[in-house]
Amino acid sequence: MIRAENVTKIFGSDPESAIPLLEENKTKEEIRELTGQTVGVNKASFDIQQGEVFAIMGLSGCGKSTLIRCINRIIDPTAGHIFFKHPDRGEVDITQLDEEALRTLRKQNMSMVFQHFALLPHRTVLSNVGYGMEIQGRGRRKRQEAAQRVLDMVGLGPWGRSYPSELSGGMQQRVGLARGLATDAEVLLMDEPFSALDPLIKVDMQQELTRIQRELHRTILFITHDLDEAMRIGDHIAIMEDGKIVQIGSPEQILVNPRTEYVAKFVEHADPTGVITAGTIALPLDSDKFVSAGERDGISYLHRQDLPHVRYGMDREGRLHDVQMDEQDVPVRRLEEVLEDESARPASSERTGLALTCGEDAVLRDILRSRLYSTLPVAVTNGDGRVRGLIDDPELINGILEKRGEIP
Amino acid sequence: MTDPFGFIDLPVRQVITDIVNWIVATFRDFSRTYISPPVRGVMNGVQWGLSSVPPGAFILATFVLGWWAASWRVGVFSVIAFALIGFMGVWDQMIITLSLVVTAVFFCVLIGLPLGILSSRSDRFYGFMRPVLDIMQTTPPFVYLVPAVMLFSIGNVPGLIATIVFAMPPVIRLTNLGIRHVNPEFIEAAVAFGSTKRQILWKVQFPLAMPTIMAGLNQTIMLALSMVVIAAIIGAGGLGLEVYAGLERLNIGQAFVGGIGIVLLAMVLDRITQGLGEKAPGVRDRD
Repeated sequence: MIRAENVTKIFGSDPESAIPLLEENKTKEEIRELTGQTVGVNKASFDIQQGEVFAIMGLSGCGKSTLIRCINRIIDPTAGHIFFKHPDRGEVDITQLDEEALRTLRKQNMSMVFQHFALLPHRTVLSNVGYGMEIQGRGRRKRQEAAQRVLDMVGLGPWGRSYPSELSGGMQQRVGLARGLATDAEVLLMDEPFSALDPLIKVDMQQELTRIQRELHRTILFITHDLDEAMRIGDHIAIMEDGKIVQIGSPEQILVNPRTEYVAKFVEHADPTGVITAGTIALPLDSDKFVSAGERDGISYLHRQDLPHVRYGMDREGRLHDVQMDEQDVPVRRLEEVLEDESARPASSERTGLALTCGEDAVLRDILRSRLYSTLPVAVTNGDGRVRGLIDDPELINGILEKRGEIP
Repeated sequence: MTDPFGFIDLPVRQVITDIVNWIVATFRDFSRTYISPPVRGVMNGVQWGLSSVPPGAFILATFVLGWWAASWRVGVFSVIAFALIGFMGVWDQMIITLSLVVTAVFFCVLIGLPLGILSSRSDRFYGFMRPVLDIMQTTPPFVYLVPAVMLFSIGNVPGLIATIVFAMPPVIRLTNLGIRHVNPEFIEAAVAFGSTKRQILWKVQFPLAMPTIMAGLNQTIMLALSMVVIAAIIGAGGLGLEVYAGLERLNIGQAFVGGIGIVLLAMVLDRITQGLGEKAPGVRDRD
C-alpha cells in the first residue's frame, strides 16, 4: 500500500550537502559537525501492506514524527521516494506530486490523527468530525449524517453538539480518530495518538482502535514511543534510532531477535506474554529429548525423556490421536475452548486429568493461564493439525525469562 | 564656532511644504471626486439611520445590546449613560459623533482587515507596512488636519479622513498578530486534510484570530472617538464641536458637557466591543 524507499530528511540551510555523507554512512553527529545540517530521517525504507497496522517506535527526537509527515508531505523529504498504491491510478510516487495532486491525495486517500488532537476549538464536535468531508466538498446534510455515524462508532454519539473543550482528553482523541476515519481515506496516519492520555484511557483507546480496525481494515501508520503499545497494536513494527530504521519485523520477531543493542534494551522491558507464541517456544518433536514408546494399531507413541509416564500417540500423518498417562486415556481438549470455560477448572491437585492442544499462534499468556486447568505438556499443532512440539514448564520459563527461540 | 549648526541649513520646512503642495495640486481633484463622495455617503446614511431612531427606542436597543454582548450591568450602564447625555441636552451632537465614529470604523475595517491579512501572509509586505503604521500612529493627530483640509476642504469629510488614517493601525496590527499567532497545530491539521490556503484562512485562522481582531477593533473605536473630537477644529460637528466651541467662547460649562458626553460614549462603546470580543468564536467556551 505504501512503500518508502530511502526517505531522507535533512534540516538546515543546505540539506543537499549532507546527502553524500549519508551515503558514506556517517553518523548524525559527524554530519552535524562537518556540515552544520541536522539529519531528521536517514534513508528510511519500509513496505506497508494494505489493511495492516504498521507501528514506528522510537524515542523522542529519533525522527519518527518527521518521517510520518514525509508520507503526506507536510514535511518535504530531502531525498527518497514514497510509493502509494492509489485505488484508481495505480502506483503513485508521492514525492513527485504537485500541490494540487497532493491536496487531492490528502483529501481523498490519507488522513491524520495528532498527538495533541488538534481539534478546532471554535467548531462543535460534529463539525470537527465533518471537517475533512467539508474540504472534500460534500454537502452539509450528507456530511452531518456521515459524521454522526462515525461519531457513533467511536462511542461519542450524543456529544456532536458539544465543543472540544467540554470533553476529556480521551474523548477528544476519539473525536480526532473519528475525524480521521470520516473521510474514508485508505490510509490513516497516526502521530503518537495516545501518548498524551492517561495510562488507563490509553489502553481503552488501543482496544477501541483494534476493534474499529477489525471492522474497517484501514491501512494505518502508527507512531509511538511505547514498545508495549507498538506490540499490542502493530502487525509490523519498525524501530527507529537517530533517524534510522534499525529493525523491522513482527512484534515477536523483534522481541525474540533484537538486532541491535538499542532494540535489545527496549525489548528487555517489554511484556513478552502477549507476543511470544507457542510455535516459538515449543520443544520440537525432532528434538533428542523425545523418546519413542513403540507403536500400536498404526499409532506411534512417544514421550519426553523427563516424563516417561505421559505418552502422546500420533497417526501416520502426524496428527494427535490420543494422550495416555500411566497407560490410561486422558481426555484432550483445545486450549481456547477450555480458557472460555471457567467451570472446567479442576482442583489444584487434579490438574493431570486433561491434556490440551493449541495452535502455533497461541500466545504465552494463554498457555500460562491454561496451566490452571492442566499441568500436562501442551501439544502444539500447525494448521493441518500435525503436532509440531510440546510445551512444558521448562519451555514456558525460558519463554518468559529468556525469550529464546527460533522464528521460522 | 559658537553655533555649530550654522554651517548647514537643512531646508526641511521648504521641502515638506513643496511636497504637500505638490500632493494637494496633483490629488485634490481626484480625492474630491472619488474619495469624498463615498465617505460622505456612508456618513450621511449612518447619521440618517441613527437620528431617525427615537431616543427611547435607541436607549432600549443599547440596553439589549449591552446585555447580550457583555452583561446586564453593561446594559444598565448604557441606559444611564445615554439618558444623561440626553438630559444634558447634547443628544443630537452625540448622534453626530457616533455617526462619525461608526463611519470611520467602517472604513478602517474595510481597508485595515485586508491589509492585516496580507501582512500576516507575507513577511515582506509586513516589513513594508510596519514603518508606515509607526508613522501613522506616532504622528500627532493635529498634523493630519492640514493636508486633510487642503485635499478635502473643511467639514465632516476631512475630519473623517484624518480619523480613518489615525485609527486604522490597530486593526491592521492585531489582525496580523492574531492570524500569525494561531497555533500551528491547527494549521497542520487543516493542511493534512487537504485544505487550500484560502480554506485555512477562512475556516481556521480567521475565526481563531477573532478575539485578537476584536481587541484591535476596540482600540480603533477608541482612537476614532478621540480623533473625531479633534476633528472639530476643521469643521466636523458633534460633541467635539461642543467642546471646541465652549473653549473658544470661554464657556467652560458647555465644554464640560461635551467632554462628559464623549467620556460616557467612549465607556459604553468600550464595554460593548470588549464584550463582543469575548464572545468571538475563537474563544468559544460554553461552560
